[in-house]
Amino acid sequence: MIGRSLHDGRILSPDDCRALLRRVHALAEGGGDTAIRVSSWWHGELRWARNQIRTLSDRRDVRLTVIRTVRNGRDGAVTTNQLDDASLEAAVRAAERQSRMGAKIGRGVGFYPQFPHYEPFPNAAIWSDATFEAAALARAEVARRMIAHAEAQGMLSAGYLEVRAAMTATLGTEFPELRTGEHAFWEQPYVRWTQAQGSMTVRNAAGTGSGWAGLSSYDWRRIESASGALAERAVQKCVASQDPVALEPGRYTVILEPQAVADLMEPLIQSFNREPPEMGLTSPWRLAYDEALGLWRTKLGMKVVDERITISHDPADPDQGIVMHPLDLPEPVTWIERGVLKNLGHDWATEVEKLKGWHAVRGADAYRMSGGDTSLDEMIRTTRRGLLVTRFSNVAVLDGESLLSTGLTRDGLWLIENGQITKAVKNFRFTESPLFVLNHIEQLGEPVPVFRPTKREGDRLRPAIVPPVKARDFSFTSVIDAI
Amino acid sequence: MTISRRQLLKYGFKIGASAAALGALPRPLYVDLGDGGLEAVPPIESERIRELAFRAVEAARDAGAAYADVRLTHTRMRRITAAGDIGDEEQVAVGVRALVAGRWGFASSPMWSRDEVARLGREAAYQAKSAAVGPAYEVVLADVPVVHDEHWTMPVEVDPFEVSPFEIADYLAALTNFVSRFPGHRSDVASANFYVQEKAFASSAGSYCTQRLYRTEGELSLAFEGVRRRLDALTPAGMGWELFTGQELREEIRRLMGELEEDAKLPVKPVEVGRYEVVCDAISIATLLESTLGTATQLDRVLGFEANASGTSYFSDPLAMLGSHQVGVPALTLTANRNERGAAGTVRWDDEGVESEEFTLVRDGILADFQTTRESASWLAEYYRGTGRAVRSHGCAVAPSALEIPLQHVPNLRLAAGPDDLDFDSAIAGVKSGLAVRGLVVDVDFQGGAGLGRSGLVYEIKGGQRVARVVGAGFLFRSAELWKDVVALGGHGSVQRFGMMARKGEPAQATYHSVAAPPVVFGQFTVIDPTRKA
Repeated sequence: MIGRSLHDGRILSPDDCRALLRRVHALAEGGGDTAIRVSSWWHGELRWARNQIRTLSDRRDVRLTVIRTVRNGRDGAVTTNQLDDASLEAAVRAAERQSRMGAKIGRGVGFYPQFPHYEPFPNAAIWSDATFEAAALARAEVARRMIAHAEAQGMLSAGYLEVRAAMTATLGTEFPELRTGEHAFWEQPYVRWTQAQGSMTVRNAAGTGSGWAGLSSYDWRRIESASGALAERAVQKCVASQDPVALEPGRYTVILEPQAVADLMEPLIQSFNREPPEMGLTSPWRLAYDEALGLWRTKLGMKVVDERITISHDPADPDQGIVMHPLDLPEPVTWIERGVLKNLGHDWATEVEKLKGWHAVRGADAYRMSGGDTSLDEMIRTTRRGLLVTRFSNVAVLDGESLLSTGLTRDGLWLIENGQITKAVKNFRFTESPLFVLNHIEQLGEPVPVFRPTKREGDRLRPAIVPPVKARDFSFTSVIDAI
Repeated sequence: MTISRRQLLKYGFKIGASAAALGALPRPLYVDLGDGGLEAVPPIESERIRELAFRAVEAARDAGAAYADVRLTHTRMRRITAAGDIGDEEQVAVGVRALVAGRWGFASSPMWSRDEVARLGREAAYQAKSAAVGPAYEVVLADVPVVHDEHWTMPVEVDPFEVSPFEIADYLAALTNFVSRFPGHRSDVASANFYVQEKAFASSAGSYCTQRLYRTEGELSLAFEGVRRRLDALTPAGMGWELFTGQELREEIRRLMGELEEDAKLPVKPVEVGRYEVVCDAISIATLLESTLGTATQLDRVLGFEANASGTSYFSDPLAMLGSHQVGVPALTLTANRNERGAAGTVRWDDEGVESEEFTLVRDGILADFQTTRESASWLAEYYRGTGRAVRSHGCAVAPSALEIPLQHVPNLRLAAGPDDLDFDSAIAGVKSGLAVRGLVVDVDFQGGAGLGRSGLVYEIKGGQRVARVVGAGFLFRSAELWKDVVALGGHGSVQRFGMMARKGEPAQATYHSVAAPPVVFGQFTVIDPTRKA
């Protein structure tokens, strides 16, 4: 019984998943298309605050969506989290009823060509037994060690450790006999992945100083081995950030730590899609309407940022761990190469002549940004006057064309004068565009993995490898009191 | 002609049967409650669910929990669009919380069965024990009266799951057709979301209660010559299908279309930065309240329990501030509740079995209380005892379903109206020179202390008249000053209620509540161009 295996296995095994897909498919009545998507997840979590472990939890769920399209019907979709035969049959019947009642004559089913088969990445860095086996006691032990760093300095810490595993399958391509019609395009064989994350905020008792450090990876061992260094960094940042002074808003040279770069780049990374600029919608990559050709031109092929910048993803990269869908181009993709916009992601159904078959080029989820060889210390030493930024919070895009964004500095901001860190500074609200920053680079450091966990249960991994960046003329627009 | 009881029954039966057929989608979930095989999920009042619940609690107690509670939830969600797309989701979940030596353990899964709930009880206790090395940490749970097997169904007029989804799709399509009959007007999206959750709660103190909770929301946005408005009348509410049918939606849409036409006639001008007298409409005030006082009066945030997630609070020292700290003008009174009929955060009992109540967060401009749970209420014991009040939870423990552990979430908030008969239009009429804003979107810092508001609809006011539409205005504020700058509050007739969603915790949880507020006039609002760089 599937239910048993959920107890024991926490996420569905490939065999259980295969059996489940077959069972549900066999329940379909009246022809037409059927798609079944299964996903399940398990989380082991730990939260602490005020140097006390507060909550440990173990949670899991499963989600099955059946989409039925009877002949001439619309899509009927029903989602359930019960996997017994009776619940599943009721779900399939309900989806069929929905499909039939919205029938439109002449709609038809099954007019899509055969779907290509891409080999999954057998060695993709997405699953770690160490993550899946990290027990509550192991999490508690790491938390205790991290807390001890804060206690030793008389500081208060709050933090979060999490290990999770998830799987998904949509009518696996390993069963060609189950492929039907339009939904076949969403087929995905069984794939499972893990994620681990650790983060810690350290504050002094008066609330006048705050530091933070965090890391995410598919592999719990990386979090475990980095935990001492993370704790120490958060404590040091808290100690050094106490009793900040207010500076005048204005343009400053900034040294952005890798986490700050990742926080700022978020809207840029999510913009690598082809459809919006080609449809004339707001996008940083829309160039102009070409009257002669009657189409929107994009900035593909144009230099958009500093030539030292390359942003790419590679499913074979051991640090990136991309959970590929068979519709995703199973090759490395370079979005920006030496400052030039080279590729934009697109949907599988978008008609682009250059497409090699029916695949999608997914916009960047996981990514790596190229760097340089300047150390953070060197960046500080060579700065006459500037600000060192730990991370950004509450980043919101004000203008989708320039990617002008606003947001806040958080958990450590310092003034640098004549090559030395001289003062802790009150947080600022900034008004700046990631594209502006990437066009005003002075120095780049070594790219490192940052804290970029997927948030919703069952979502795919999105690791990032990002360098520290020193850039000029970064715009800070107002002082905030929040610490 | 008389109708016999027999005929009535027959008639009633037929109505019921046809309604069920129209409703079309039977409950697809089955569970194993130990009576030999699978059965459809019974109504939450079922005695067997009670047995299941206490089985979980006992398993946790047997495994060493000093306190344990369990929630079983059965949730249905339905989304319907004007285009006729219907999405149905149904979920069963159970979660057990156990307290061992001051640490909470929590375990949850999607299965209701006798074996599974017992496993979860043991697992929750094990999780708590895993953290319990070293000196015990004292968790004091504020007293709560034991609830003896009570049930509550949120009063709704029409259960939306009893209405045919196709009838609802037709209704939505008719609304968009109605809009398109007026030249130049269009509605981009129309959709409806329905949610019903049946929930059972049992605790090791012997409480047991069950509830059926509803939430309904709709989305309809109007556009006319580049000016856009969202229909505020359909924000999430603790109501059924009557959220749509119980109000004169077409009247409301016509009124909004009329305003859009007026707005489109106004000249457009770019923002001039400076300080202005500003009239904010009710939804702008609700959003401002939510992001400032609603955020800062969460006691767990104040004490750093959310520091690594959504942040802390600009109220730093609760015991020193309570009863004396001036947060706003004396006319400012902010109450909170979880028992207001029709509000999105309304329940009979919270997720710790605490009966919902109304309480005052800000009285006459002075900080009077915080949002609490059973655990966090005890952190204010000194204050409550000192003022002769009982130490009790305000019932703010919530989780979206039994899969998540309850956290303190924002309850319904209500800002008291001013004494005068003032509304948005009459407030504008009283302003010689200033701005008026509708539908402010607020981006606040991680302490709720300072923020930036933006809106697509800002009017310039001269001599009590709207003379232009201002584009690109940003409203910069510090919460500590904002509420001391209130010049006038709208009257009783101008108070409107809006449902809102809030996120909190690690992992993040999203929960719903309502905020009711009148329009407010501020004396000196800092207005900037948020896209202007330093």
